[in-house]
Amino acid sequence: MPLADLLAREAVFPSLRASSKKQALQELAQHAATLLGRDPREIFETLLQRERLGSTGVGNGIAIPHGKLPKLDKLFGAFARLEKPIDFEALDGEPVDLVFLLLAPEAAGADHLKSLARVARMLRDPATADKLRGTRDAGAIHALLTATQASDAA
Amino acid sequence: MGTVFLSDLILLVGSALVLLGTVSSLLAARFGAPILLVFLLLGVLAGEAGPGQIHFSDYWATYLVGSAALAVILFDGGLRMRASTMRGALAPAVLLSTVGVLLTAGLVGLAAIPLLGLPPLESLLVGAIVASTDAAAVLFLVRAQGLRLGRRVGAVIEIESATNDPAAVFLTVALVEIIASGAANPGWALTAGLAQQMVLGAAMGVAGGFGVAFVVNRLDLPSGLHPAMVVAAAVLIYAATAMMHGSGFLAVYLAGLVLGNRPVRSIAAITSFHDTVTWLCQIVMFVMLGLLLSPQRMAQYVPPALAIAAFLLLVGRPVAVFLCLWPFRFSWREKAFISWAGLRGAVSIFLATIPMLAQLPGADVYFNVAFVVVLVSLILHGWSLVFAARRFGVALAEPLREARRFEIDLPGQSEHELVAYPVTADTLAVSSGLLPLWARLVLVVRKGQVLSPQEAGVLRAGDYAYLLAPPRRVQRLDPFFMPEERPRGEIGAGFPFAGNVKLGDVADLYGLFVRDQDRVVTIAEAFADRTDDRPLPGMRFAVGTAAIEAVTVEEGRVTQAALRFEALGEEGVSVPRRLWEQVRRRFGKGQDLGLPS
Repeated sequence: MPLADLLAREAVFPSLRASSKKQALQELAQHAATLLGRDPREIFETLLQRERLGSTGVGNGIAIPHGKLPKLDKLFGAFARLEKPIDFEALDGEPVDLVFLLLAPEAAGADHLKSLARVARMLRDPATADKLRGTRDAGAIHALLTATQASDAA
Repeated sequence: MGTVFLSDLILLVGSALVLLGTVSSLLAARFGAPILLVFLLLGVLAGEAGPGQIHFSDYWATYLVGSAALAVILFDGGLRMRASTMRGALAPAVLLSTVGVLLTAGLVGLAAIPLLGLPPLESLLVGAIVASTDAAAVLFLVRAQGLRLGRRVGAVIEIESATNDPAAVFLTVALVEIIASGAANPGWALTAGLAQQMVLGAAMGVAGGFGVAFVVNRLDLPSGLHPAMVVAAAVLIYAATAMMHGSGFLAVYLAGLVLGNRPVRSIAAITSFHDTVTWLCQIVMFVMLGLLLSPQRMAQYVPPALAIAAFLLLVGRPVAVFLCLWPFRFSWREKAFISWAGLRGAVSIFLATIPMLAQLPGADVYFNVAFVVVLVSLILHGWSLVFAARRFGVALAEPLREARRFEIDLPGQSEHELVAYPVTADTLAVSSGLLPLWARLVLVVRKGQVLSPQEAGVLRAGDYAYLLAPPRRVQRLDPFFMPEERPRGEIGAGFPFAGNVKLGDVADLYGLFVRDQDRVVTIAEAFADRTDDRPLPGMRFAVGTAAIEAVTVEEGRVTQAALRFEALGEEGVSVPRRLWEQVRRRFGKGQDLGLPS
């Protein structure tokens, strides 16, 4: 599933304010819940549950919190650029300022994995990350995230 | 006394020729000459035209030895073909080997009418003789030169060459019979006969393959006899099928294919023995064909034969290939390469001896024309195939390197086999530091020193690893010592997991498959189990379609691990590529999960 299909323009938050990992997750869960028409607590719990197994901070200032949400009809993505980097218990210990939230339906299976891999791969590209950090314009961020696909497929 | 002396003489000359053949391979390697051509030239030099002055013109002996040699070579080809490689290549290859052969034969036949001044039927016979590509030559040229073709293209060429002999053999035999008896219209009987050849050949081959596998697995023969039994069985399958008017070549290839893709005891010994026998067959066959050649008699046929060769390579084959591959999705480059890779070899010369044996009046023409065509192909293709593959963009970047497995016979038991591998960089054994659970590393030779696995730790490039493994699974060790397909550029995109997380929890999160008994095992325990309590950072094992890699190890326990999805197929990647990835996962990375399937 191309990222353009799972990341809506409204789900991009170019300057989210959060002082801790927990707060960042809460904020994101809140936004996601509004967009999805769901209970924010349910989403937050899902994310937290995943974080208990291991941080989703993948390094280089990037975190990809994710989890499975019952009765979701398709993959849902949201992106936040944090105003101030926060500690995310990432593998490399670096503070995180780019957060991509990915929620999957219970039965997403391979699509879930592929999308995670794709998001991780895209964000790990230093050029892309630099560009994302360099703008506060939601439209530009959305365009960046949904455009840089085809080239890295192989 | 006379006959004793003669036998000794024949032995002396024969063995000397084989010896020269083996040594001449060095020559071939040094000068990059096609090795089959070198064998052939050796025969020519030994023959009546060269210093050897051996007068050999026994077409019957050629036919006899040639069919046995071809049977063994084709069987070996089947043995080495992985069924998984055939996916998507079977239909095009089979179309090429039936319709393609008929088309090529017809086109060349048409061209031969004016070029050789023969009547239509006899021209068609010439076409039939040179119509089929030669499996021995294809397998050999591609493998000996380490050419690594795209999977589908490589498989099409290989399967085509292995399965198109029936059509050519049948067409040749039928035409020879028709010409000999003077009958006019072949029509139906031809098609029906062809169908019979193929169906019978296929049936006998598959049944034979399963039969051989069954017998080998059941009989406890002294070690060393299994390979011998298999070779004998291969020739038997060939001969029995041919006697029943089925295609022996098809049968023997399929038998090899079945055997090579089934769990078979001492398969390693069998394949390595076949490796040797196949070389021997190639040498014997080509030297003998060289001996048979008489350049003086060939001279007059050279100009028209060259014209026929040119027509075959530049028009006949390409037209047949492009028409046959029309319905399938091949790029024009792939089709162009497959057209060019129509190697002719011993089969054509061998087919040309059939009219000789039937004493057709024009037999000399067919034979010499076939010979010239094969010579042209050996020289031209032998030197240009690798270049053509690059040119048409169907060659993969690096030449194929295979895992080099050495086997050591363990007397006294058959539960385990001792095998050794030279360890090279970029192999799974080095990059993952893991070996399958069922294989036991017994010693490591590093820089000339013999180390115990404990002393050696993780395998490094340059080591020699000695492992014990159940015979049935030995082959599945190869992927660990084979240079990896292509290193996935980036390493690192992994999701962290604490070492105390259970595999079942990870699996549930992502819908990955884990065996029930593994669900309650933690990541740290899984690493401990798989590494004899000595995990190191960077080691990984497969969980379903993903892999878990050890990141931090504290006091011999994995405390931090990362889940990696790199092995996942990507959207936007072609279906064959994805299938290939699946196959790789199944036989390669998927294996170190330690599933004792």
